[in-house]
Amino acid sequence: MNEDEKMTDEALYSLKSLRAAQPSPEAKKLALNAAMVAFDAVQASKPKARAKQGWLSRWTLGAGLGVPAATAVAALVLLPMGTQMVATRNNLDGPPNDVQVATTEIAREEATVTTLSTLEAPKPEQEVAAAKMADDSVALGEAAPVTQADQLMAAPEAMPAPTGRMTLRQAAPSAAADMAGGSLAQAPLYVEGDTFKSFDENRVKITSEEPVSTFSIDVDTASYTYVRSLLQDGYLPDPDAVRLEELINYFPYDYKAPATIDTPFSSTMSVIPTPWNPKTELLQIGLKGYVPPKEDRQPQNLTFLLDTSGSMDEPNKLPLLKRSFALLVDQLLPEDTVSIVVYAGSAGVVLEPTKASERTKILGALDKLGAGGSTAGAEGIALAYRLAAESKIENGVNRVILATDGDFNVGIDDPEDLKTYIKTQRDQGIFLSVLGFGRGNLDDALMQSLAQNGNGNAAYIDSFREAQKVLVEEGGANLVTIAKDVKIQVEFNPAAVSEYRLIGYETRALNREDFNNDAVDAGEIGAGHTVTALYEITPAGSGGELNDPLRYGSVTSNEVAADDEIGFLKLRYKAPLGDISKLIELPIGKDLALADISEAGNDQRFAAAVAAFGQKLKGSAYGETMSWDEVADLANGSKGDDVNGYRAEFVQMVKLAALLNPDRSGGGRSKADDPNLTQERSLGAPPPRK
Amino acid sequence: MNGSLVLTPQFTDTGTRSAASAHNNALVDRAKAGDRLAFSQLIEANYDFIFRTACKWTGKKSDAEDIAQEVCIKLATAIQSFDGRSAFTSWLYRVTLNMVRDMQRSSVRKAKNVDAFALVHPEDDPGGQEEATTAHQIWERVSTLPDKQREAIMLVYGEDMNHVEAAEIMGCKEATVSWHIHEAKKTLRGLL
Repeated sequence: MNEDEKMTDEALYSLKSLRAAQPSPEAKKLALNAAMVAFDAVQASKPKARAKQGWLSRWTLGAGLGVPAATAVAALVLLPMGTQMVATRNNLDGPPNDVQVATTEIAREEATVTTLSTLEAPKPEQEVAAAKMADDSVALGEAAPVTQADQLMAAPEAMPAPTGRMTLRQAAPSAAADMAGGSLAQAPLYVEGDTFKSFDENRVKITSEEPVSTFSIDVDTASYTYVRSLLQDGYLPDPDAVRLEELINYFPYDYKAPATIDTPFSSTMSVIPTPWNPKTELLQIGLKGYVPPKEDRQPQNLTFLLDTSGSMDEPNKLPLLKRSFALLVDQLLPEDTVSIVVYAGSAGVVLEPTKASERTKILGALDKLGAGGSTAGAEGIALAYRLAAESKIENGVNRVILATDGDFNVGIDDPEDLKTYIKTQRDQGIFLSVLGFGRGNLDDALMQSLAQNGNGNAAYIDSFREAQKVLVEEGGANLVTIAKDVKIQVEFNPAAVSEYRLIGYETRALNREDFNNDAVDAGEIGAGHTVTALYEITPAGSGGELNDPLRYGSVTSNEVAADDEIGFLKLRYKAPLGDISKLIELPIGKDLALADISEAGNDQRFAAAVAAFGQKLKGSAYGETMSWDEVADLANGSKGDDVNGYRAEFVQMVKLAALLNPDRSGGGRSKADDPNLTQERSLGAPPPRK
Repeated sequence: MNGSLVLTPQFTDTGTRSAASAHNNALVDRAKAGDRLAFSQLIEANYDFIFRTACKWTGKKSDAEDIAQEVCIKLATAIQSFDGRSAFTSWLYRVTLNMVRDMQRSSVRKAKNVDAFALVHPEDDPGGQEEATTAHQIWERVSTLPDKQREAIMLVYGEDMNHVEAAEIMGCKEATVSWHIHEAKKTLRGLL
């Protein structure tokens, strides 16, 4: 072997280092399902081809041993599915679905058969295939499979391998076909894969027993965007995904802004009749953050920490992320600094701290990002904070912006450690915001808690328009914190209010004693942010109480005889870099109360409509009395100027929700009606017999 | 030849190799008899191997996922033709490789101006490490070779197989593999 040949050899051996990416569990499940469908098709056709083996007995066997149908279906449902595919089915007169197990299996088999035959020809339109599948599955009787199988098995041994690419979308219809009925009622209503922090809705409290209500503000809007994106695709959100305060706070409200930074935010209060309950009232507390004049703009030092794992390789993830951040870069001034760190796909610094004046360089670096692989980005987050610290601007905005679709393998595995790390960095003046992209992998709970620990906010970007809202219109609010650890405490006057209920803020509840404890973290308010909190209050003597009065009465002795006060509002906040909180106190006067909802301003009525929408969507114990139409009407009538069209869009959301989940009187639906969900998840009952 | 040829699938280490192989064969037999559970377990156990193989040969995760899925579907029928003369993993490798070829041919047909044989796209490099980057450059050279030569090189150097094993997968004689390798190196000499 000469020298030359040795070199060739050596070079060739480096091919060994070619590494394969990690298979994604979704793709694996899908492949497994597709294989089982094909297997069943082959097996079903066998008896015909090689003399009778009694296919019914095999079904029984399959039903006993095989992958449970529900599991397979649930896996398929992981993927987004256009309901219109199912809706194209036009043959409603198929025979009844009377053989439970067998029919289900046959339906699946038929789905494959259709795929096979149609896909051998040039690739068909997805919708056509879908419609055909649905049709076939319905048109099937008990005897049908045999004839279908006949055709299939014309050449039994040489049966063509199914070469149809069951892509994600194509696979979905078979899930619907599985259920042998393709009406909207049978389509999956919920999407699986995203995780949310579970919480119980706030209950009605009795003022004489628990007069004080304490919570942290929440300016996030992720919940609304997520819910909107689901509804627009024809799904209902998981109840835990609906956080009422984030729905309400998504919309800008025209509260009066404070004039100076001395009081970083103003508060506006009103009391209006509750639209869904004639006996109660809605207390609305609105805060608006101070908007610093343009010339006071602080220089910004932003570090983008971007997820480039393989799962980001979807049109609504990395490409959207790139364009979103490009938008953000466009907002920067020459003295601002940008650094880019990526993790997961290819770990490391993509862009050293660069002045925003070198815009082309920054955009070039963004543009070059590609998704793929899953190498653990060992030090992603530490690297990001190190760069942020290197170029830290005193008295400026120092912030790490984490963008991900749910993979938090940023180098610190334990969520608690990660939170602690983010907290220590926060205390050194570097804040964190989190932007969520895509669906199916989203870890909303972790997103929220990271952002909260990092004094930042969590937003969910589902479209370029949303990117524009979060990063441009509210860019200032989301980047420039003007007050931190903002806590609200309301003490109700038992003489005026017998019961009350805080709407939303479940995940932000604080203990009463936390209010005065500056060590307890709470929400931040950004420049120009609006925050709205709603209480449903039952005026004493209105007869709207849900609790019976006590037989032996209760000892009430008011310290202050304040008959003209509903309650007392206290706010605590800290300056962005301060450690000691300041207190704002305001009485809530009875004179705020309006007799008729029509007297209320647009903002008050609109917020009430959003609350009603959220409550209905969650299947809340309250607010069910309003119909979707009434909610839509209330919102429609309170759109006001609606410069950006957000409120008009909301009205459309209400209509979509009404279609997906009709009012009770119209035969309302719940998770239990989703044939594709494993029902034990929500009901705690044993899974249905397979 | 029974069991004499066992590939090293990436999901097993050397110690469990034969056990995994025996397990696979048992599952194959049951699946051939129509056992649904066995078939699903077989796919479950081998999916990663299929995917990784496809990934190595295409260099693109999305393509690899498609190919892996098609292989899984194909196995439903093809399993009947597995006769146990070679190890299941070698056979499976061959099935996967065939699928890769099919797919690449059809994508050539579909988009004539797309250089479908630029098998590994640098931007899809899953590792992002320098070593892998060199490998990609070499692979790019290798991918310009005629089909058989490319496969022989990939199997022998990329997968670290001996010529007997490569011959098994390519469905030819050992000497033919050696000849392909020889021809390939003649072309590549000086280029790497």
